[in-house]
Formats: sequence, C-alpha cells, structure tokens
Amino acid sequence: MQTVQPWQRGRLARWDMRWDPDPLQAAMSQHAYFSKEGTSGEIGAAGGGCGCN
Amino acid sequence: MGARASPSLSFLLAASAALTGHAPARADETGSEQYAGYRFNVYSEDVLSAPALGDPRRYKVYSQQFLLNTTIGNRYALSVNATHEVMSGSSPWYVLPGPGGKPIQVLSGATIRDHRNAATVALTHDAGGNDTTTISATYSQERDYHSTALGAERTLPLNAALTLGFGGSFSHDRIEPFDASLYDRIQRAEKNTASAFASLSLVLDRVSAIESGIQLNYQTGYLSDPYKLVSVGDALDPDTRPDRRTEAAWLVRYRRAFGENAALHLDSHLAANSWGQHSLTLEANWYQSLRDGWQLVPGVRYYSQSRARFYAPFFAAGSGPDFSSDYRLGAFGAAAANLNLRKRIDHWEFSAGGERYHATTGYALGGTALADPATVSYTRIFAGLDYHFD
Repeated sequence: MQTVQPWQRGRLARWDMRWDPDPLQAAMSQHAYFSKEGTSGEIGAAGGGCGCN
Repeated sequence: MGARASPSLSFLLAASAALTGHAPARADETGSEQYAGYRFNVYSEDVLSAPALGDPRRYKVYSQQFLLNTTIGNRYALSVNATHEVMSGSSPWYVLPGPGGKPIQVLSGATIRDHRNAATVALTHDAGGNDTTTISATYSQERDYHSTALGAERTLPLNAALTLGFGGSFSHDRIEPFDASLYDRIQRAEKNTASAFASLSLVLDRVSAIESGIQLNYQTGYLSDPYKLVSVGDALDPDTRPDRRTEAAWLVRYRRAFGENAALHLDSHLAANSWGQHSLTLEANWYQSLRDGWQLVPGVRYYSQSRARFYAPFFAAGSGPDFSSDYRLGAFGAAAANLNLRKRIDHWEFSAGGERYHATTGYALGGTALADPATVSYTRIFAGLDYHFD
C-alpha cells in the first residue's frame, strides 16, 4: 500500500469518488429497499421510521 | 467545516470527504460545496403475478425531496432534508390456502391513501483535519404513524490513510392504526430502536479507497404489522411477531477512479437478525463523465434474504405463538438495474433516471421451500435539480 500525500489525492477528492455522491437519490433508493425487504440497509444514524415497514 | 477558508483548504477537505464515513445526513458528504437540491420520484408497483383476491392496484407513491447544505462560520455545517410523500393503492392483507395447497394472496382495498412528511436536521462541527462531530434529529409523520430519531457520530483520523467513524442513534415510533375498532386492531402501540455503528475508511492508493463498517440494532416494543392478518387453521388471526429483534450488519464499500472521467463503486452488505433472517446485498455503479458536463451512471443491485423462523404463507391450527405471512419475512431474492443521467450547467445540475426492481423466490440464494406470493416488483422514475452556491 502506497503512502498517498495530500497533493496526490486529486482523484480521490472527485465528486464521483464520494461514498454517496447523491444523498437525495441514495435516500430514496434506501427508503424503497427498507420498505420492501426484511433486513435493514444502510449503516449510520437511524432516520425516522415509517409505517411502510 | 472550514470549507471556505482557502482554495487549498477546500481541496483538502474535499479529499477528506471522499474518505470519511457513511452518514447519509451529514453535510460534509457534499464535500466543500454548499448546495440546494430537489427531487421528484414516482414509485409504482406491478400487479401481482401470483393468484390473488381483491383490488389488484398496488402501491403508488409520489415523493418530493428537498435538501439544503450550508456552512455556518468556519467550523460548522448545517444540513436540512425534507420529504413529502403521497401513497395510495392496495396492500397484501393475508394468504389463504388454495386448491392443492397453493397460496392465494388477499389484498386490501385500494382505498388506502396517506401522506408522509419527514424532516432531518444535522449539524456538523469540523475541528479540522477531518475530525468531525455530527448531531442529527429526524421527525417523520403519517396519519397513523409518528417517528422521532436522534443521532450522534464522530469521524476521527487515525493517520494519513485511515479514518475511524463511530456513532449511535435512538428512535421512538408510535402507531395508531386506522379503523382499529372496526377491524379489532391494536389501538395504539410503540417501538424503540437503538443503534450503534463503527467504520474504518482506508486510502489504498492515489485512485482507490475502501470502507468497512458494522452496525448493531436493537428493537423492542410492537414489531408486528397491525394491518396484516394470518390464516391459522380456519381462523384469521392478527400478525404476531416477537417483541424484540437484534440485528447485526457488515458493510464494505470500495471506490476506484479510472482515469479522469470514470469511477467504479462496489458495495456489499451482510446482515443477520434474531428472527432467523440473514441477507446479502451486492451493488455496482459506474460513474462515467461525458463531454459538455454530461454524466451517465448505470448500476445493478442483487439482494437475497432467508425467511424468518415464524414466516409461512399460512399455518395449521394450533401454531404459534408467533406467526406472520408478511412477504418481507419470507425468503426471496431481488435484482435491480438503474440509470441516472446528469447535466451540469454553471451552478445548476439537472438529473433524471429510473430503476427497475424485480423480486421473486426464484432469486433467493439456496432456494426456498415456502411460497412468498406477494413479493414486489416495481418501477421508479425520478428527476431533480441542484443549485451549487460555490
């Protein structure tokens, strides 16, 4: 594994390299999966539950 | 966060944002940007392919989402996220044994119509060097359902390549079902969910990073569905599940840049719970930048789950104490494909796309001996607009 200096992180800093580039789109996808599947999806702080599940 | 302090600092913070944790509501997931976003979604379920009684028009949901990410001073970021949904259609009610023991799904009337309003506010303090603390609060309301959640999390750089993320959350939900007296449903019930999670993000080289995280959820209270019944012998009894559930999940995410215009996202997720269910999710997305500010993002997803130990389409007399024929507790698999097209023009960014999701027992890993007649297939389309203030 290489040591990556801050000035070498240009590609890592790009929008398309984020864990969730589009949080709104990701939230709606996860909401659909959460309401139709038996096990919960994302890792992180729980959002509000809903009557869908 | 101090994203506006200087161009070089903005660059470093954006680089850090690419490596940090997972919080969906956290402002620094937007990098150093301040922006406002809007999405409109239409979600539409297919008519059931299995034998069914009742109104065949299944769920349709129209959703609007709003997001504002902004900074407060040099060290704080605020994220406000709101959702409004209108839902209508019929829903799986119970399952009857048909000729030859084949299940017949009974659907509720299509008169179900409800609204959901939800809002999340998250405040992040950036102590510098990717050391962040976020607190968040969420409220979600339907006519028959209320949920309140609070969360806190921290990201902490361990060295130049490794970042630790950890946190916890608590939510309290209350349900007051429609027509409770008419259908002999529970009048009012509550449930609580406590979660704890941790992750490690690692820069592998100049073009790739990986994150691994675990989550534990513990739920107590009323975990049944008050709108569902179960065929037990010749009777119809209320859906009855254990009053607690523990779940563990393990997530791995990998990001790799290819040249200056493409990136691959690979995600995997394993989960297991105390009801006997375990699941696997695999997801791949390709981000391709094109000329003149266009971007195309195709993706595929596979999901498989086993059944809960108290799931069956219908039960013999004397079964119990727990039983459910909710299709979400049965064994099934699902395949999905999605496509998103984006176009950036100065401060504005337009996006549009869709997803096709198909679930069936035939896709379940290892197969299943029990039918699950109400598995869902749906189509979702969406369009949106973002405005970037920077």
